[in-house]
Amino acid sequence: MGAFLISRLLSALIVIIGVVCLVFMLIHLVPGDPVDVMLGESAIPADREALRSSLGLDRPITVQLTDFLKGVAVLDLGDSLHTRQPVSELLASHIPATLELALAALIVTLLTAIPLGILAAVNRGGMGDWGAMGFSMLGLSIPNFWLGPLLILCFSLWLGWTPVSGREDFSSLILPAVTLGTGFAAILARMVRSSLLEVLGEDYVRTARAKGLDETRVIWRHAMRNAWLPVITLLGLQLGALLGGAVVTEVVFDWPGIGSLMIESIQKRDYPVVQGCVLFISLAYVLVNTLTDILYGLIDPRIRSGGTA
Amino acid sequence: MGWRRLSLLLFLPLFIHACSTSHVDDSIRMGLASSPMNLDPRYATDATSERINRLLYQRLVAFDEQSMPVPDIADWRRLSPRHYRFRLNPEAGRFSHQRKLDADDVIATYRYVLDAKNASPKRSGLALIESLTKVDELTIDFKLSRADPLFPAYLTLDILPADLIADDHDFAHQPVGSGPFSFHSWPVSGKLLLVRRSDKRLFEFVEVKNPTVRVLKLLRGEIDMLQNDISPELIGYLESQSAIEIAQRHGSNFTYIGFNLRDPHTGDPRVRLAIAHALDRQAIIEHVMHGAARQAEALLPPEHWAGAPSLMAYEYDPEKAARLLNDVGYTTADPLRLVYKTSSDPYRIRLATVIQSQLKAVGIEVELRSYDWGTFFGDIKGGNFQLYSLSWVGIRTPDIFRYVFGSDSLPPTGANRGRYVSHAVDRLLRQVESADTLERQADLYHRIQKQLHQDLPYLPLWYEAQVSASNPRVSGYRLMTDGNYDGLEQVRLRQPEETSDAQIAVAH
Repeated sequence: MGAFLISRLLSALIVIIGVVCLVFMLIHLVPGDPVDVMLGESAIPADREALRSSLGLDRPITVQLTDFLKGVAVLDLGDSLHTRQPVSELLASHIPATLELALAALIVTLLTAIPLGILAAVNRGGMGDWGAMGFSMLGLSIPNFWLGPLLILCFSLWLGWTPVSGREDFSSLILPAVTLGTGFAAILARMVRSSLLEVLGEDYVRTARAKGLDETRVIWRHAMRNAWLPVITLLGLQLGALLGGAVVTEVVFDWPGIGSLMIESIQKRDYPVVQGCVLFISLAYVLVNTLTDILYGLIDPRIRSGGTA
Repeated sequence: MGWRRLSLLLFLPLFIHACSTSHVDDSIRMGLASSPMNLDPRYATDATSERINRLLYQRLVAFDEQSMPVPDIADWRRLSPRHYRFRLNPEAGRFSHQRKLDADDVIATYRYVLDAKNASPKRSGLALIESLTKVDELTIDFKLSRADPLFPAYLTLDILPADLIADDHDFAHQPVGSGPFSFHSWPVSGKLLLVRRSDKRLFEFVEVKNPTVRVLKLLRGEIDMLQNDISPELIGYLESQSAIEIAQRHGSNFTYIGFNLRDPHTGDPRVRLAIAHALDRQAIIEHVMHGAARQAEALLPPEHWAGAPSLMAYEYDPEKAARLLNDVGYTTADPLRLVYKTSSDPYRIRLATVIQSQLKAVGIEVELRSYDWGTFFGDIKGGNFQLYSLSWVGIRTPDIFRYVFGSDSLPPTGANRGRYVSHAVDRLLRQVESADTLERQADLYHRIQKQLHQDLPYLPLWYEAQVSASNPRVSGYRLMTDGNYDGLEQVRLRQPEETSDAQIAVAH
């Protein structure tokens, strides 16, 4: 298990450094200049050069990248070009909102997808299957920029249960979490269904039924245990995406998360903030995927030992 | 499922309802499309920051309805063409840290901006100031490097307290001004709280990026008012809500199509003229913008003191446009193909699509390309375009003509993005510099606009109207032509008995 962990962490480190370097180069290569955004067009060329120099943007890009990586090594992500706030402070003010929304959306996803997937699988071809997969198809088809306002209209405006947007209290979390969780739940429900259908035909399930176990016990204790692996893979990817910021949902609900911070920073060409966000997102992805791999090992000892079925 | 769990589920909506926010306080909330980026007026360049800073600070000069400079907190005398004396009104404001605004503050603010090492974006607009001298506590002398009768109009810089400038105070996040509002707090990036100093009323400026959600928040009463940045459809929807009050007035923000004059196609004046005749601007205003604009013929609106109301509109004449294109050599078999660049704003894209369709009708194949702001603006500045559309916002002084159309104003030194070079316009711009009265300047600017109207480096489209919407809690808001928020000084909360009926209508 130790060697497995070390190899996962090493590859994670390489991925993070690779992503950070790639994004650093890309954001500097796209057209647009932070000095333009900050000074406007009317600035005197000498002032532009002075600002460019004071921000360190006049140095070769490789020097800037090396300095950034050195800073990351000592947890110094630099300052925002626009607000002059430390990037770590900006990230710290947005990460809790992202974690909160990701966790809530994950709960919505799990609470919706697993019962629906099971319902569809155990009633294959029946009304339950049609209903659950119909919901899944609907969830996949509705884009968040439409579902969000629709939910607001229904639950905020007509029923008056939740605020329209913003991050005020617990109730303001409900609609963004449902909006974000619906699409993910739709995909996951289909995965749960297909995984479960695969194992429901296995001999050991038939044996469990033959032993006279009740159906709930057969599903949860025997079938689901083996159906979890592909579900966890997908869940890991989804959690990574959730932590990476759900830009559309954040914009619709004015949720002050990492996604909206990153988009805003890209528009303003605020390089250090973009880099900070990318670093967080790649860390989140890698961490979640590493945890998923570790979880695999715990669920299926064959993976841990590198054996084959 | 146990009864306990079931009851929890049943009571969830009640719990949510109990948690949901409602208006119990007496603050006034305004929804903004974007938060201010910088509350330090020496560095703020975005429109929202400029508008909020107008509330927090005072300035020497204001503008009347014709955009003529008029005294704000100071009156002035022109002692000689290069020497102006400004005298502060003894009633000029008191800073929110309780010190009275005086000549030292004016001098400290202007000197800070003029100091090259501070790299203020406002420096270029004040470059003609040679020196500032304090005459007494309320009087300042400005000496100029050259004469300019329009000089007072440039003195719109918000005044900061000298003692805090010396202390290198963080005005960007803790502004201290002498304006009608004072800073309260900025608890999160999307929510700014100011206090109206006359009655201690709290104002919240809440960022709501999505226009549909902004409208829904207004309907639910989570914000009390909003201004601009909503599509005509949403305005129409709000108009259908009996409890919402919509106000609209002429605006001065100018939208245009810019041409690249170095491009072999758009550099041909006959092509630009054909495009001018191919567009039915009035139809777009009427049917797409639902009347929330007026047709423009020049950068400055006709009521501006240097405006040119007598310019004749390019009438919609698709036959003439097609004929002109034929004369240049374009045919249906070999049509004119152009690339039109715009921002990624959905409303701008929709307008671009309508323009694309109108140009197609005369045989011009237009490819639309929309980009994020940084990329779009980078391309425009770099001259990497054939056609683009943008707006000029908050233009007050006609010196913009030099900045936009002077042959010495190519980016990065100016905004002559279309690379327009006209000896006639350059000569007139030089004459403006030596004109010693505003009347003479106005005459020269009329001639410049006439020349521009003929050369068409820009095709003027329209001046977008200012629109505000408010719920019944508030009244008394007055819209300004340039979209500033000065009207918040008068806005008030209605008494509960005045609003109760309307509020019920909004809630349900």
